[in-house]
Amino acid sequence: MSRYTELQLDALRELANIGSGTASTALSGLLSRAVDISVPSASVLSLADAVSHAGDPEAETTGIVLGIVGDMTGTVLLLVPPADAVAMCRMLGVEPTSEFAPSALGEIGNIVGTSYINALASMTGMALEPTPPTTATDMLGAIVESVLAAGAHAGDVALMLDSNLVVEGDDCAMSFLLVPDQGGVDELLSRLGMS
Amino acid sequence: MSAAETMVRMGELAVSGVPGHALVALGLGSCIGLGLVDRRVGVAGLAHVVLPESLGHVHQNPRKFADLALPEMLDLLEDAGARRVRLEAVLVGGASMFAASAARLEVGQRNEAAVRDLLKELRIPIVAAATGGNRGRTVRIDVASAAVTVREAGGKDTELLPGSMILEAA
Repeated sequence: MSRYTELQLDALRELANIGSGTASTALSGLLSRAVDISVPSASVLSLADAVSHAGDPEAETTGIVLGIVGDMTGTVLLLVPPADAVAMCRMLGVEPTSEFAPSALGEIGNIVGTSYINALASMTGMALEPTPPTTATDMLGAIVESVLAAGAHAGDVALMLDSNLVVEGDDCAMSFLLVPDQGGVDELLSRLGMS
Repeated sequence: MSAAETMVRMGELAVSGVPGHALVALGLGSCIGLGLVDRRVGVAGLAHVVLPESLGHVHQNPRKFADLALPEMLDLLEDAGARRVRLEAVLVGGASMFAASAARLEVGQRNEAAVRDLLKELRIPIVAAATGGNRGRTVRIDVASAAVTVREAGGKDTELLPGSMILEAA
């Protein structure tokens, strides 16, 4: 299934590690709490397996999407379970049921996602820009497949780099997926001297 | 509850003529769950279509494209005993999960339009649809009765197409 070597996947994992490290620092500053990150995983999966990999397709989840444009195109997707979304709103002093909650979550996604994209850009020397975030709360499968479908034309496999950001003490977490469009992975690897 | 459910995941399709069997696509977003049923013989198919057109990308999984999945499913349905003239179609999905600013995500509407055009060419009637909007959906087709139910996030199953059992003549 994988057209990438273990060495290449390691390099991508390291990229995700540094990117999510930068993102966790941004989240930590925003919420004024310590934030831990998990060791990221890099998986090359069929579209169907990629959706299964994300979790129960019918579980309700908030997804925050940022597009990446520039030398590489792709998508950053942040997934926040409902209870965690409530906790994060409270930390920002926003009532979770208010009309401001989605934009507060969108702003968290914006800051976290943008810092991740900037870290990628400076590591690889690519010019990368985020597009404004959009947010949806719905079935996990519907959110993930819509992101994958947008980039599915050129390939049958999705590279998913994921990591978990865990806010200390409050037991709230978000997972973080970088889904480069098909040519984007090769571009990343060539910039890292790993193609 | 049916004893056996076949999960039709992103870019997959399945056909069944087994009584008590159901075909299910969980969490459809911009993808289309295209169901075809032949009530007379109790044969049904479900395709989880990802994109409208293959545009010559023939080396890939053909089942993710509407224009390639539909002919393949028709062949499988006929192999299972369905007749093309008796087929009825149901469409579920094709939503725009994210706000319109993200233009590259507007795959849902294009998927629905492509599937409707293909069915029109083939003169297969669309008897029920739950499409568009911005909500994800799960679709379930009971093979024997052709009953189709749809569920949105946090909601209950609602009947999209009533089932009709046709008893075998003695």
